[in-house]
Amino acid sequence: MVSVIAAALFISLIVFLPKGERVKGVAFFIGWLIPGAGHVLVGKWKKGLFFFSILGATYLFGMWISGFRTVTFDDNPFYFVGQFGSGATLLIAKMRGAEKAIIRPGLDPSWFDPGLLYVCVVGLLNLVVMLSLLDARALADAVPSDAAAPVAPAPPAPAPAVPTASAPEKPA
Amino acid sequence: MNGINYLFLFFPIVLVILVVLEAARSDDPKSILKRALANLGVLTAVLVLGGAFVYVINRWF
Repeated sequence: MVSVIAAALFISLIVFLPKGERVKGVAFFIGWLIPGAGHVLVGKWKKGLFFFSILGATYLFGMWISGFRTVTFDDNPFYFVGQFGSGATLLIAKMRGAEKAIIRPGLDPSWFDPGLLYVCVVGLLNLVVMLSLLDARALADAVPSDAAAPVAPAPPAPAPAVPTASAPEKPA
Repeated sequence: MNGINYLFLFFPIVLVILVVLEAARSDDPKSILKRALANLGVLTAVLVLGGAFVYVINRWF
């Protein structure tokens, strides 16, 4: 079901976006699959690497707290849905979905809920990262686009060389 | 202290959220870090003041 929705969204973006901006649709979809990959695709590889690193570290930290078992629907329905914001986290959740998250031995039980929150927040933040790809300013200096190209101002017209009647005459 | 030590997890996750939100709308690393830290300060102040208010209400009222 999720795959069908993702495919429909991807095709819609490709079809309905103008030709010069179709790369945004592809980057949007790739950015959902792997956090930061969309920015790498449009040429902003530093920013893409930054997003991948920071979201990946947050996800790993949350997973470490919750015993490297992903959030199931029984753990918390809201945090479970939050994982859908990224294809990578969703794939890992699907692969290990049968195992309920547990608090890592040695940690205080009160850390369990924040651990699930960390995993959820990564998916939600990836939605923000994806949407930033559709911002015209985000691609202004990365991808040349006819639609987004700034129009150069017209040069000022030269002043007419018509002599005025009140101009003083040159003495003979 | 054992029961509330999860509050220390507040700082990293809020900082990550604020940095990613700022990075999504800006390209200047200095500006991103500056605005994220400023917003973290404001949110922390709100948390501390709210906690102090609840403590006072529960302690004396």
